[in-house]
Amino acid sequence: MKILFFLITIFFLPAVIFSQDQDSISKNIITLISGNVIGENDKPLNGANLVIEGTIDGATTDEKGYYEFETEESGKKILIITLIDYADKKIPVDIYPGNNILLNIKMTKQEVKTEEILVTASSFTSGNNTAVTLTPLEIVRIPGADADLYRAITTFPGSNQVNEGSRITVRGGNPDEVLTIIDQASLYQPFIFDETFNTSSYSTINPWSLKGINFTSGGFSAKYGNILSAVLDLQSYDMPQGTGMFAWLGLANASLSGVYLSENKKLGGTFTAGKLFLDPFFAVNGKHSEYSPIPQSNQIGGTLSFKPGITSNIKAYAFYSDDDVGIRSSSPSYDGFYRAKSKNYFANMKGMFAPSSSSLLNTGVSFSLYDKNTSYGILGTDEKYVYSKGRTDFTQQINNKISINTGAEYEYNEYKINGKVPFYSYDLALDAPSIALDTSSSTGRIGGFIESEIRISDDIFVIPGVRSDFHTLSQKISTDPRISFGYMISNFHSLRGAFGLYHQYPNLSNYSRTIANDLDAESALHYILGYEYNRENKIIFRVEGYYKDYSNLVLLDTNTFLYKSNGEGSVKGVDVFFKTKISNKFTGWISYAYSDSKRKQYGAQILAPANYDITHNLSVVGSYNLTDRIVFGLSYKLSTGKPYTPVIGGEFIKLQKLYKPIYGEVNSARFPTYNRLDMNAQYIFSLFGKFAVAVLAFNNIFNQNNIFDYTYNFDYSQQIPIYTNNRRTIYVGMGLQL
Amino acid sequence: MKTKLIYSILLLITFAFTNISLPESDFEKAMLKAKKNLKTAMDNYDESEIIKSRGQFERILQLKEKTWLVNYYIALADYGLAMSAMSKQDNDKLKKYTESGIAVINKSIDEYPDFADSYVLLESFNFNRWQYEQDKMQDIISASQSADAEAKRLEPDNPRYILVTGISQFYTPEAFGGGIKTAMPTLQKSVDLFKTRKEKSDLYPDWGNDLAMGYLALCYINRNDDGDMVKAKELIDEASKLEPDSKFISNYVNGELKKAGSK
Repeated sequence: MKILFFLITIFFLPAVIFSQDQDSISKNIITLISGNVIGENDKPLNGANLVIEGTIDGATTDEKGYYEFETEESGKKILIITLIDYADKKIPVDIYPGNNILLNIKMTKQEVKTEEILVTASSFTSGNNTAVTLTPLEIVRIPGADADLYRAITTFPGSNQVNEGSRITVRGGNPDEVLTIIDQASLYQPFIFDETFNTSSYSTINPWSLKGINFTSGGFSAKYGNILSAVLDLQSYDMPQGTGMFAWLGLANASLSGVYLSENKKLGGTFTAGKLFLDPFFAVNGKHSEYSPIPQSNQIGGTLSFKPGITSNIKAYAFYSDDDVGIRSSSPSYDGFYRAKSKNYFANMKGMFAPSSSSLLNTGVSFSLYDKNTSYGILGTDEKYVYSKGRTDFTQQINNKISINTGAEYEYNEYKINGKVPFYSYDLALDAPSIALDTSSSTGRIGGFIESEIRISDDIFVIPGVRSDFHTLSQKISTDPRISFGYMISNFHSLRGAFGLYHQYPNLSNYSRTIANDLDAESALHYILGYEYNRENKIIFRVEGYYKDYSNLVLLDTNTFLYKSNGEGSVKGVDVFFKTKISNKFTGWISYAYSDSKRKQYGAQILAPANYDITHNLSVVGSYNLTDRIVFGLSYKLSTGKPYTPVIGGEFIKLQKLYKPIYGEVNSARFPTYNRLDMNAQYIFSLFGKFAVAVLAFNNIFNQNNIFDYTYNFDYSQQIPIYTNNRRTIYVGMGLQL
Repeated sequence: MKTKLIYSILLLITFAFTNISLPESDFEKAMLKAKKNLKTAMDNYDESEIIKSRGQFERILQLKEKTWLVNYYIALADYGLAMSAMSKQDNDKLKKYTESGIAVINKSIDEYPDFADSYVLLESFNFNRWQYEQDKMQDIISASQSADAEAKRLEPDNPRYILVTGISQFYTPEAFGGGIKTAMPTLQKSVDLFKTRKEKSDLYPDWGNDLAMGYLALCYINRNDDGDMVKAKELIDEASKLEPDSKFISNYVNGELKKAGSK
């Protein structure tokens, strides 16, 4: 019997199972699931894919956003909806066989991880707020910017070049109130040359090595400490995407750069080496000053990246640059070469680790040394600036509405100076009385912050935060509460604002002129409100008003000649920006800034226009792609002249047998209006089967004689303009992939 | 006990036999169907159909079988959509599909790094990047070169790898190391390799034969010695037989032949 049962089972069970299966199929009732998928502004989404989890039952939406599909599934299921550029969505559905389901779905755009440079006057960004951007390509193509990140930024409202160089000032503030950060490390001297004597500075940062740049000209996040005006936050690439080399040869410079990626993609590196030589450039364009030596510079640097795991990365970055220039300069008391030499070393190591899918830990240490030698007449100094910093940041996403950022840092700063400086600032003759210097000072700063990004609704978010810093030399503590917010009024319109307190401890050299290092951190209260219209990044219009109230600025006490913290000031202004992309051929922008900045600081005993108070500033930039390979660019700048303190006469000093200048009111005069037109063209082609690019640039086409400064004759009765050396020039260069 | 054991073993064998006897799994059936749809859609340059077949592959991912191969086809669909955007000079869409494609094909490579065709596709995507981010030229070139080297290392005689090289040479001016003269032997090699090519499985990609013949025909039409229209016509006819739905052959290459003939 058992055997019979066994045989029956063996031969008939599959048939029974099969027939049961067929039976169940025939019994399965088909359910139709249909609906529409829409995006922002209820726009139908084409190409959204819907699928029931674990099955292939699903559909793709058509042009009207409509979908429908049949399924034999039943019970509680998960419907997955995906679409490129949109956040994946999972919706639970209860399928009752035969009961058709109508399901309309709204998708939200994924947060855009842009690799473009974001220039925002606010301390926050969002996926919808990536409009006012500047790509590395645009940096390279902006005429007159000389492929320099900082110069490119000055074509946006709110920032200005210092003496046509790369150092920038923001909203009337001083250049040292702009902080550059690269991979968490503070970079205090990312420049070669010093503008002091009519030699434009250049940035040492290669824009093509950057994966992200965020420039905030006010109202920035609590994570940035010890800075008053603006932050340029840069991130270099974590890992190269391949291996290759690129060489550049131009009329004034040559460089070689390369990238390497190991086969297992866990180890990568980059290097760049460059040299500046101006002889050919001067031979073509002529010289407007006498040089000894001609400006020269060498740069070398690189990164090394290691990826131990999917969620971790270690990156080391090191850079060295030097420069040397001697430029003939004439002053009432001395005529000779101003000589400036500097060496700059920078190294940074950063580790990144994601402990979980919703948290990120960044930690890094950095060191920099800037060594500068200056000589002119009796003046001869050697200054050394040392900075080292350790910093850790931690980000935790609590849910899809709230994330917390927190971090701490310690920064050490040392300043040394030796040499001699003139006893009387107006007497620079070689035999003039002088003061010998050999001093050094150092300080530390401990800082910490915490902030939260809170998305109150789809349209509103706020970022409240607070930071605190302690300065070891002055033993002063500063605490800065800050908040910023954004509100999407409708699809194309948004409002943004920021309010907060910002502190910056005075430059270390200032403490030598105090009693017991008693200087407070300079402070500024920022108020910012802006409106933006952004039509799919094709038309962008932004207007932003701001007001900053300064206090504790360093002020000279004219009785004791010591520095105190009782200076004050304010700046108010409006920035307007319009960018348009008319087809793929043309991109351009116009920016205008109005600013009124007054400070009682250093020698200014009354509220006077700040040193970099530029009332009106207009920039127009355009780029036209003639073909895929040929691009033309044009850039025009027009701005109010910079304030300066005029000399209104001279007083003969018998003992010194020379005239002493009598100064007028601080910054009571202005240079003439500044204007300059630049053009360039780029041609991309193939050479020896390799990629190549050629650049032709014309700077200051109309050969405008913009003023660099004024000097005076021996008795100060005659003012003599010193024109900027950036007269009309032509530059050619070519790059080749090796 | 012994009886129960035999019973169980036979039962298992029976089930196993029942399963083995199925001609194709759900995965294979779905893949072949989606692959066919994608091919038809790409042959016809039909954007909405490419989007639909991309969706089919996305849904197949739910079966969690050979996801690297499924992702290859999703990336291939993205490539088709990117090319369609490029022909319409829509740089926003070109960027969108190129970046999506690069992300998807990299996912495929991460899972199965020994598939030469993935690198061929990755290299092709990187060529697209020139259209919208020339500023990253070093990055693009090094990424392209790495993908090229990897494809060559894995399968130097992959006809699609040779084809992509040939197309690149075709569009590069002669003065810069490219041109028809250089491209012809490369494309001829690709055509020859396709003749003997046997893919490991029906599920594997088999596109490109018509493109190789088409581009070679274009070389014969456009070469400096007034061309060889007979040879071009032969290639077009042969390609049409192989791929009767290929709009590239029937419309574009044939159109070029007619234009040349009417001169």
